[in-house]
Amino acid sequence: MLGVVPVGIADKSGYPVWVQEPELPDYVPNVGMRSAPSLEAIAELQPDLIVTSGQLAPAWEQLRDIAPTYVISVYDQGAQPFARARDMLLALGGILDRQEQARQALADLDQELAENRARLEAAGLTGKPVALVNFMDARHVRVNAPNGQLQAALEGLGLDNAWTEPGNFWGFSMVGLEAFGDLAGIRLVAISPVAPGLAAQLEQSPFWRYLPVVSSGEIYQVEPVWAYGGVHSVKRMARLLTEALLAGGQSNVR
Amino acid sequence: MFAEVSSAHATAPRSGLPLRLPLAAAMLWAVACAITVMPWLDQMGLSAFLQAFALDTVDTSDNPGYDQVMIYYSWAPRFAMAILIGLGLGLAGAVLQQVLGNPLASPTTLGVESGAQLSIAVTTLYAPALLALSPDFVAVAGGLLAAGLVVALTWKLGFSPVTVILAGLVISFFLGALNTAFLLFHGEYLGNLFIWGAGSLVQNDWSQFMELWPRVLVVGIALVLLMKPLQLLQLGAGSARSLGANVGALRLLALLLVVLMTAFVVSRVGVVAFIGLAAPVLARLLGARTLAQKLVWSALLGGGLLLLADVLAQWATGWTDGKLVPTGTATALIGGPVILLALRTMKNDRHMPGENSGPARFIPKRYPLKPILVVGGALLVAVAVLSLGWAPGLEGWRWTAPANWQDVMPWRGPRLLAAMAAGVALGLAGTIIQRLTGNVMASPEILGISSGAALAMVALTLLGADQSRSIQLLTGGAGGAAVLLLLLALSRRHQFSGHQLLLGGVAIYVFMDAGLRLVLAGGGTDAVRLLNWMAGSTWLVTGPEAISLAAITLVLAVVALMGSRALVILPLGSSSARSLGLPVSKARLLLLLLAAFLTAAATMVIGPLSFVGLMAPHLARVLGQQSAIRQLLVAALVGALLLAGADYLARVVMFPYQLPAGLLAALVGGGYFLWGMSRHGRA
Repeated sequence: MLGVVPVGIADKSGYPVWVQEPELPDYVPNVGMRSAPSLEAIAELQPDLIVTSGQLAPAWEQLRDIAPTYVISVYDQGAQPFARARDMLLALGGILDRQEQARQALADLDQELAENRARLEAAGLTGKPVALVNFMDARHVRVNAPNGQLQAALEGLGLDNAWTEPGNFWGFSMVGLEAFGDLAGIRLVAISPVAPGLAAQLEQSPFWRYLPVVSSGEIYQVEPVWAYGGVHSVKRMARLLTEALLAGGQSNVR
Repeated sequence: MFAEVSSAHATAPRSGLPLRLPLAAAMLWAVACAITVMPWLDQMGLSAFLQAFALDTVDTSDNPGYDQVMIYYSWAPRFAMAILIGLGLGLAGAVLQQVLGNPLASPTTLGVESGAQLSIAVTTLYAPALLALSPDFVAVAGGLLAAGLVVALTWKLGFSPVTVILAGLVISFFLGALNTAFLLFHGEYLGNLFIWGAGSLVQNDWSQFMELWPRVLVVGIALVLLMKPLQLLQLGAGSARSLGANVGALRLLALLLVVLMTAFVVSRVGVVAFIGLAAPVLARLLGARTLAQKLVWSALLGGGLLLLADVLAQWATGWTDGKLVPTGTATALIGGPVILLALRTMKNDRHMPGENSGPARFIPKRYPLKPILVVGGALLVAVAVLSLGWAPGLEGWRWTAPANWQDVMPWRGPRLLAAMAAGVALGLAGTIIQRLTGNVMASPEILGISSGAALAMVALTLLGADQSRSIQLLTGGAGGAAVLLLLLALSRRHQFSGHQLLLGGVAIYVFMDAGLRLVLAGGGTDAVRLLNWMAGSTWLVTGPEAISLAAITLVLAVVALMGSRALVILPLGSSSARSLGLPVSKARLLLLLLAAFLTAAATMVIGPLSFVGLMAPHLARVLGQQSAIRQLLVAALVGALLLAGADYLARVVMFPYQLPAGLLAALVGGGYFLWGMSRHGRA
C-alpha cells in the first residue's frame, strides 16, 4: 500500500491461499514460519526494517539486533483493531518516509468504503445484518465478531454484523452452525477458501438445510480475505462483499 | 503383578452386588439426563419437545421452529451418540483391563487413539479422496497399525501387562509427536482436525449414529461372547492354560475387538480418551467383583460418564462465549481425578513396573568408562563444529571458518549451548528416575514433570497474556514443581514408591494433553505457537539464557553426582538402605526434587515431548556403564550429543523453515526405544 516491496516474508506459501492482496512478487524470499521465522535467514537479507506483530514478542530482542524492529500490535485486549491499524499504517509511513502514501492509502480506503456503501444503498441492500464466517468443517465456523478487523468493512458499508457477541483476542468466535438457528433475516457470507467437498456435505445436512438463512437463500461467498490483517483486509473485504451482495444470494457455498 | 489383581484372586470373588453400584450408576444417569433435557423442557414444554421427534426428515417446506430442528438433528443424535460411545468404550476398557490383568489399561494406552488420529491427519493431507470414501477404514487401519505395533513389540514377552502398557504409551507419544509435526506445517488447513482430535460429539443429523450403532453392537456382542473364556483369565494365565485355554490367542482376539471398537468410535468423533479407563476403574471401586459385573457396570458407567462429560462440555462452551469446548476435553476433566482416586486406593507393593519384564533383566557387557567419554566428547565437539560452521543460507550451503564465527554466533551458538544443557539435564534426570524406580522404561516424560511445566504454559496462553521469555520460564518451572508436589503428596503414604509416581505421571500427562487440545480447538495463532513450543523449539534462546541454563544444569549435575551413593543404595530396598544408614524417605525426596528441577530446566528449552530422558540413560547402559556415577556421566554426555544433533538438524533440514529440535529428538528417540525394546525381548 505504501509502494514498498518487502525483502523477505514469512509463510510465503500461505499468502496466495489466504491473503492474495496486495500482490506479492515471486522473487521475494521466504524466511520460514510466521510463528518461528529463521532469524539467520532474516539476518542474511540485511533488512533496513523489520515489521512484526506482538505475537513474536519473545523474539523482539533478537530481531532488534538485526535491524530496527517495528512491532505492530493491531490486536490487543479491548482495542479497536481498525483504529489501531490506521494509526499503525500512518506510523509505518512515517518510519519509511512515505507519510503521503500512507495518508493517501487511508483516503483511498475511506473512498472505497463510501463508494461501495453508496452502491449497496442504491440497490437497497444495507438492511439485513451480515455474518462473515470461515468454514472449519461442515458444522463449525469461525464467525467474525464486532471486535474483529472486518467489522470496519461492515460499518463502512453501513451494514450490521449479525453476530453481536464479542469474540476472542483475534476477533472471532468458533461456533457450531446452530448458533445461527435463531438468527432469521440475516445474510451469511462465507470467506474462501472452503474445504473441497464442503458444499456437498452441507447439501446432505438437514441441519444446514433447515437454517433460516439457507432456506431464504441468503448465502454469499467471497474470495479469500485475511481476517486478521491490517487496513488492506478491510478495503478488500468491502469491495468483494459489495460485489457478492449485489450478485445475489445462493442456498449453498460453492 | 498388581496388588489389586492378586488380592482379588486370593480372596474368592464375591458374587453379591453391593447396592452402591446400581445406585451410583442410576444417579449418574439421572443427573446427566436431567441436566441435558431440562433446558429444552424449560424453553418449550414437554409436548413441543416430543413433537420434535415427529419432524419430517424430507420435507423442509413447512419450516418448523428451529428449536425442534435443533432437538431432532443435533441434540438427540448427540445424546444418543454419547450414550452409545460411552457404553462401547466402557465395555472395551473393561475387557482390556481383564485381558491385560492391569487395572489401568485402556484403549488410549494401546496407542489406538493416536494411531487413528495420525492416520486421519495424514489422509486428510495426502489422500482426501480415501477419507471421503471411508473415514472408518482409515481410522481402523491407523488404530490397528498402532496396536499391531504394540503387539508385535511385546509378542516375545508374552504380553507381559506392564510391557504392553509401556510400549503402548511410548507408541502413543511417538505417534502424537508425528501428528504434531503434521499440524505444525499445515495448521491452517487442519482446523477441522483440531476439533476432531479433541473429540467433538457435535452431530449434524442421525447418519453418524446410524452408522455407528450396528458396529458397536456387533463388536459388543462379540466381546460379551468372549466372557466365558475371559473368566478363566481371572484365575491367572498359568491356571487358565492348564484348564485348556489358549491364552495368547484369546488375548489377541480380545485386543483386536477392542481396537475395532475404539477405531469405529474415534473415526466418528475423534479422541474421547479416559472413558475406557475411568469407567472400569469406577466400577471396580464401587464394588464390581465378578467379570460379568465388571463388564455390565463398566459399560453402564461409561455411558453415564460420557453423557455427563458432554453436558459439561456444552456448558463450558456457553461460559467461554461460544468458544468450542470439545467433549474429549471434558472427559479428561472427569477422568483425571478418577485415575488419581484409583491410584490412592491401590495398595503399595514392592514390585516396580518393568522389573519382571524383559528389558530390565537385559544386562549388557561392561566397558571401561574412559574410551567412551573420549569418543563421546569427540563426537560432541564434531557436532558443535558442524553446527556452528556449516549451514544453509538463502543461497545454498556455506562453510563458515572458525575465524568468522562471531558473525553467526548469535544465531547458532545460544541454541546449541541450550540444547546441550537440556540434553545433560534430561540425561541426568532420566538416570535418577530410572535408578530410583528400578525401571529402565521410566523417564521424566512419563513421570509427568515436563507435562506439568507444559500445562502451566497452556494455562498462560489461555489467559491470553503477552508472554516474555522470563515469564514463560517462571510459569513452566512452577508448573513442574506443582506436579512434583502433587505426586509427592499422593505417594507420601507409599513412601514415594516409584510405582505410584509413574502412574500418577501418566494421569497428569493425559490431563495436560486435554488442556492442550482445548487451546487448539479454540483455534488461532495461539494454537500454532503452543504447538511450536510443545514440540520443543530452540530457536528463541538468547545468549544469556543459554549461559544461565548451562550454569544451572552444571550446578544440578554436581549435586546429582554427589548424590550418586544414594542412587546405588536405594534400589536395594528400603530395609537394606536403612540398615546402611540412609534416611530412605528423605533421600528419595531429595533425589526426586533434583530430577524435577533438572527436567523443568530442560523443558523450558526443549518442550515436554522428547525421549531424551528415556533414551540417554538407556544408551549409557547399552554402552556398558552400570554403576550409578558412570551411568550419570555417560547419560549426560549422550543427552547433550542427542539434542545438539537434533538442534542442528532441526535448523538445517528444511531451511528456512525450522523443525522443533525436541520433536526431532522425540521421533528419533521413540524409534530407537521401540527398536531396543523388541531387541531385548528376543534376547
